[in-house]
Amino acid sequence: MMKSITGLAVSLLAALPFAAQAQAPKPATGTLTIAFAAEATMMDPQRSAAGVDQYYIGQMFEQLIRTGPDLKKRNWLAESWEVKEEGGKPYIDIRLRKGVKFHNGDPLTSADMEYSFKRASDPKISRWTHLQAAVEKFEIVDDHHFRIRFREGDGSYVAGDLTLWAIPKNYIERVGDEEFGRNPIGTGPFKFVSRTVKEEIRLEAFDDYWNTEHRPTVKHIIAKVIPEDLTRVAAFKTGAIDWIDAVPPAMVEEFKKMPGVKTAGFVAPNNMYISMDALNKDSKFHDVRVRQALAHAIDVDAIIRRVLFGQGERYVQVSKNAIGYDPDLKPYPYDPRRARALLAEAGFPNGFEVPCYNLTTPREPYQKEVGEAYFAYATAVGIRCRVQGQEYGTWITFGRRDRQGHMEGLYSNMWGHGLPGDPGVAWAGHVHSYVHGGGWGMTSVHNDPELDALVKELKTIMDLEKRDAMIKKIARIKHERVAGGLPTYRPVVTLAWRETKVTFSPWPSPGFWRGLQEIGIKQ
Amino acid sequence: MWGYLGQRVWQGAISILGASIIIFMISRLSGDPILMLLPNDATPAMITEARQAHGLDRPLLVQYGIWVQKALTGDFGRSYRWEMPALKLILDRLPATIELAVFGLLFSVAIAVPVGVMSAVHRGGWIDRVGRVFAMLGQAMPAFWVGLLLILVFAIGLNWLPAFGYGSASHVVLPAIALGWYPVAAQTRIVRSAMLDVLDSDHVRLSRALGTPERLIVWKYALRNAAVPLLTMLGVYFAAMLGGAFVVETIFAWPGVGRTVVEAVFSRDFPVVQAGVLFTSILFVLSNLLVDLSYGLVDPRIRDAR
Repeated sequence: MMKSITGLAVSLLAALPFAAQAQAPKPATGTLTIAFAAEATMMDPQRSAAGVDQYYIGQMFEQLIRTGPDLKKRNWLAESWEVKEEGGKPYIDIRLRKGVKFHNGDPLTSADMEYSFKRASDPKISRWTHLQAAVEKFEIVDDHHFRIRFREGDGSYVAGDLTLWAIPKNYIERVGDEEFGRNPIGTGPFKFVSRTVKEEIRLEAFDDYWNTEHRPTVKHIIAKVIPEDLTRVAAFKTGAIDWIDAVPPAMVEEFKKMPGVKTAGFVAPNNMYISMDALNKDSKFHDVRVRQALAHAIDVDAIIRRVLFGQGERYVQVSKNAIGYDPDLKPYPYDPRRARALLAEAGFPNGFEVPCYNLTTPREPYQKEVGEAYFAYATAVGIRCRVQGQEYGTWITFGRRDRQGHMEGLYSNMWGHGLPGDPGVAWAGHVHSYVHGGGWGMTSVHNDPELDALVKELKTIMDLEKRDAMIKKIARIKHERVAGGLPTYRPVVTLAWRETKVTFSPWPSPGFWRGLQEIGIKQ
Repeated sequence: MWGYLGQRVWQGAISILGASIIIFMISRLSGDPILMLLPNDATPAMITEARQAHGLDRPLLVQYGIWVQKALTGDFGRSYRWEMPALKLILDRLPATIELAVFGLLFSVAIAVPVGVMSAVHRGGWIDRVGRVFAMLGQAMPAFWVGLLLILVFAIGLNWLPAFGYGSASHVVLPAIALGWYPVAAQTRIVRSAMLDVLDSDHVRLSRALGTPERLIVWKYALRNAAVPLLTMLGVYFAAMLGGAFVVETIFAWPGVGRTVVEAVFSRDFPVVQAGVLFTSILFVLSNLLVDLSYGLVDPRIRDAR
């Protein structure tokens, strides 16, 4: 028996990028120098390990679906797709767009996507194998039609834009993985030209790019890597750079007032939170009242205002626009008196001392300072922090349950997802309890059987409406029990460009909000 | 002379070996890179397999032995993070680091020698006071602060020089000043005190009595005598600049070894850390060796003693 689970209105959206396809596009011209704060480690989308890789990979490679400027899904390399069911198991039926070419001229076919799936499932290549764990089989129907069959439902697959990148099978098989990483070839709007580590990446517009409406208008892009905030700003002010990423929060207002300069700020898909040891029965945070006390103790709004210069957005459990966002769920109000009362009720009228781990490597702007503010607020109500700074390598290993028996105390943490966002995969990691070797609860210091069952069920739900309802349900329980940590804020990232010279229509999605195909030089 | 050279090369080799052992052991005590390399759902079997693949399951001494054996053939392993040969990653960055250190040192000497000499000649005068204040300013201000000030004044304010980057002669000016200003104070003091000693010596008094022009006495005879302690210091500072330029490299987006190695430490990228430290150690030893050899050039007594 075969039935359609959801239509998803994909066919209607499919037509959107091609409204102007019939018009002959103008050839790309000119050179633009821009600056990023960080650089990619890998240019191979499946070997990529860091979020920053996406800024660069997203210019050269594409996926089946893309999130548009309205934060709605758009068909991209997929002409249409539909979630169906056969024999009690779900599958996604995907029709690939015809006429799409790789930078070397090879046409994109289902065989390339199958190869992409195989690489994405190979732990020797991919660091994201868990995203393919529920897939049973990749089935090619014809050159532009294939099916991804699941042994059980996997909602994160749909929420994660069908996860697969278009990569050139023949090219990689011919040159090998290493050469592919050095000279990447995709279907994206820009071709790779050269790279000097710690210095720059050069890209060139791909003249045969399939999407004429979004074809680049700038021929050459030189992306400089300038990690120091003030130097990046100086490079922009002196005119050496005409577009910059990550304006420092303290300077956003100055940039907004700068004549001839335009800015755009976006909430990043990174969710900051405070992890606390609720697992160990001896831990003070095992008691829900202590966790609630912490929630009342920290004035997150003040931290956003004063430490982040307003460049952050408070979230309760799920961010605005994400699947499962519940506007009725309100954050715990800042109420130190209530926090002290809850601590007293829990048997700690004089408070207690606890280790508090702070990330000192700036993964997000002013993160160290934000951590210090968290722990100062906690100390003020009686959760007296012995703050310990951790650089990135220590911090990331420390948070892993397979490395660490359990974590004591508080830990400044974060979880990420794409935009608009779906917390399914992240919650499986830090809300579901840890299962040794099972891939669940890899950073979890919580154990709530009811939440475990719900998070597990959420993973199998592919219908977006049902998923929305389930996320709302979990979010409410998670919020009441302050389970899986205390959510705080999401950073705001600001881009700036010289309006007199550059045109730019950013797409607010990671990898694409820095979509350089939307950048142009004013004639 | 050759015996002396051989002895110094041998001592240098021991120093490099010592540095390589220390960095090898310390980097491995600092954390496990495997968890950063594998997917979140990696099973214990996958973790074990990856550890074996990178040779991290063996005893530390065995790992070190294998590393030395391969390093001697030019194989420093592959960067875990960048997935390219660690040696290439370091060697590609090395010219930029050497260039920055050389120009930083040249800047410091270009300031310290005339200021030190003039301070000694005009002891207690306004040149002495102004020179010492300028030199002390460099020592009092951290390099990141100096770097930002230079960008503010010369890149943003005056628009004379680029704020960042690498390539042309103009790019090296600001980073070299930011790096080279710090040691100016110490070098100035060394030159000044050595010059004061020499200027008070009998042979200088005799030269004056014989009517030798003061310019020649100061800049030729006295300065040459005062150069040995400065040379010693230059060797140490050059080595420190090679290894410690991380802050300046970051401020000016300078693609050097310092930034590469520090970021490799954060990601526990052992092959890159080891290759970076090893090459910095080699340069350190070489620069000190060159300084030792140069003593003979400025002081014939040392040359003859060898």
